Amino acid sequence: MKASPTCKYLKVALLFSLLLIFGFAVTVAVSDAESVTSTKANIMVAAAAQTAPAPAKKSEKAEAPKIDPTDPSSVIYLDTAGKAAGVGDPNKPPSIAYKAGRGWHPQALAVQGHPKDRYGLIDWARIVRENLVKPKFSLAPDDDEMPPLKMDVLIAAKGDFVNDVVYPHEMHTYWLKCEICHATVGGPIFIPVKGGNDMSMVGIVQGQWCGRCHGKVAFPLTDCNRCHTSPKKASSAK
Amino acid sequence: MRAKARIIIFTMALAALPAIASGGIGDIKFDDKIASMKKAGVGPVIFPHGKHEKTNKCNDCHPKIFKDKRGENNISMKLNMDGKFCGSPNCHNSPKAFPLFQCASCHTGVSAAKK
Repeated sequence: MKASPTCKYLKVALLFSLLLIFGFAVTVAVSDAESVTSTKANIMVAAAAQTAPAPAKKSEKAEAPKIDPTDPSSVIYLDTAGKAAGVGDPNKPPSIAYKAGRGWHPQALAVQGHPKDRYGLIDWARIVRENLVKPKFSLAPDDDEMPPLKMDVLIAAKGDFVNDVVYPHEMHTYWLKCEICHATVGGPIFIPVKGGNDMSMVGIVQGQWCGRCHGKVAFPLTDCNRCHTSPKKASSAK
Repeated sequence: MRAKARIIIFTMALAALPAIASGGIGDIKFDDKIASMKKAGVGPVIFPHGKHEKTNKCNDCHPKIFKDKRGENNISMKLNMDGKFCGSPNCHNSPKAFPLFQCASCHTGVSAAKK
């Protein structure tokens, strides 16, 4: 008589636990099945999306047979942001910027065969080093020509594990005047004092310091090792 | 009574087992180089393993790029830049994923830079 109620409790407890385990297993299995079916559905949708526009494209091609991929006038040039900069047809004005007289002719730039970096952007630094262009020093006739400043600045990276930056004044002063960085309207970008600029990669990414130009008109920040070149002595040997 | 309690606890633990097993690997916090990160003005990295599980197979990363043991991978930004770990040629050093310079995409505690 004593044992029977405890036994009952035990049985009930075991039954509930078994139910719980079974419940978990079922829910897991169901959720897996659901995810599988949903992915399948997604794949189906993607496949449909892939197949659907293909006939439309074909019909477009049929309607406009003039477009010939080997014809240079059919080429559409893209700017660094991936937007249409102009077309290869010399009879058509290539872009709004060209119409305004402010832009480069993309075809003219392409024909020059300028060296490109590994991101497909024109490598202006290499053009200078290989003497491929000789731009006028200034548009103002009475401006005295200033040779580029040969001065490399070692900028220590803040983190312990990142290479330091060697900043070449020479390449920058080839294109820019001192005042552009050191006496900028609205405060200098860089104070010309060693250690006077508390630069950080976070700030640069947000458009300060080097980020004022790099990523906009100068090569983007994607290629870390183009600037971070000088290995740290204190950092780990690896 | 004791035996009953033990059995109940045992059954509860047994019931909890599948719940533990069903959950994937969650977020992993990288903070062993926290001193260096502080100097650079960023916080630790919270690596979303689940997000990567959706787009990659296990053997895309393990064990070639990342050893699958905590503390065995000496990840640093330098090695990422050199094309290892996160910056492997098919990962965050390619157009397939966001580039390495977007600090705030991985590092927590990245505030607006002071002016």
